[in-house]
Amino acid sequence: MAKTFHVDVVSPEETVWSGEATFLIARTTEGEIGILADHEPVMAALQTGAVVIDSEEGGRTTIGVHGGFLQVLDNRVTLLTDRATLAEGGREEAARAAQELASQVGEDEEPETGGEPG
Amino acid sequence: MASAALRDTRRRIRSVEAIKKITRAMELIAASRIPKAVARVNASKPYTAKLIEVIETVGGASSADATHMLLEQRPVNTVGVVVVAADRGLAGAYSSNIIRMAEQAIIEQRQAGRDIVLYTVGKTAQSYFRYRNYRIERAWLGVTDTPGYGDARSIARTIMEAYASEEIDEVQAFYTQFRSAITQVPTQFRLLPIVPPEATGERPVVNYEYEPSPAEILDRLLPRYVEATVFNMLLEASASEHSARRRAMKAATDNAEELIRHLTVQANRARQAEITTAITEIVGGAEALAESGS
Repeated sequence: MAKTFHVDVVSPEETVWSGEATFLIARTTEGEIGILADHEPVMAALQTGAVVIDSEEGGRTTIGVHGGFLQVLDNRVTLLTDRATLAEGGREEAARAAQELASQVGEDEEPETGGEPG
Repeated sequence: MASAALRDTRRRIRSVEAIKKITRAMELIAASRIPKAVARVNASKPYTAKLIEVIETVGGASSADATHMLLEQRPVNTVGVVVVAADRGLAGAYSSNIIRMAEQAIIEQRQAGRDIVLYTVGKTAQSYFRYRNYRIERAWLGVTDTPGYGDARSIARTIMEAYASEEIDEVQAFYTQFRSAITQVPTQFRLLPIVPPEATGERPVVNYEYEPSPAEILDRLLPRYVEATVFNMLLEASASEHSARRRAMKAATDNAEELIRHLTVQANRARQAEITTAITEIVGGAEALAESGS
């Protein structure tokens, strides 16, 4: 059994995924990063894209994320995302979900307002 | 035939009963929203906690060039004021408490010779300040019931832009902190410049591999910290609002019940008085007949 590390994927509204994993792939601003247990400490900015997590039980979870950070420290990986959704159906689907999140953010950037000088 | 007084009282009882049904319904609606609002407050906590942790580590690592614009203190000439109140009324003193607290602070700031730029969240805050001829820089409506992160982002960005362009030198926020379903506390805190989160104990210095540089990471972290703080503020205010509304509506329902009891007694008395009068009249009539017949 491969060595595992703890992963938390959190967005401002909720904890999207939490558990033990053996392998993780994410997209940072510098490129893709793959993480195994005992990885050295990393602090990276995330890009819109898919995150792939191979969980301890052997299942593969794909999550679409938009923006945020990746922190690796002492076998704990934390993904602080602006937005994240679990996407079924592999990486392509997750990447698509991430793009969708990105476009949604663009939309609710300007919610209806009633700003008027008094 | 019922007298006018009795009919009147009965009509009032019916109308109070109708009001009671409405306030009861509003009480139940508000009550059903509290757990959801509280759950959202709790669900947002891991993110904020993690964010603070990351800022501490990165802030420590890039201490040499940690003079980020949002951290920098400058002489305060203009104060941005953010007030979070309810969109709708019928929540007791919820809105007026926080609005009064904010207005008090505004008056004090003006006496100290500072200018005010006012931002309001919620319709009650907007109409209060507009009615009193305050200039509202920007107002957000329809967010307090179930605030989304997009709302928080919009508010945070507006404020940060004004801060960056030095239109405002400081931001004070006013919202109602949610302690429990019973206790909500009107609270003031400084949103900008950011008070660096207090380091909780000794943290071992970790040599992170940064992608990109620490300064750039910090540059992305701090705006998110402001957004998360605003989001947390909106969520707590929302939970407080629902709690306040539930309490106000419960009080209204109780009062209606009390009034119905009181009116029922009055109606019974009026009815009894009518019956007594009728009996007296009959007895009087019968006696008069008996006297005239003998």
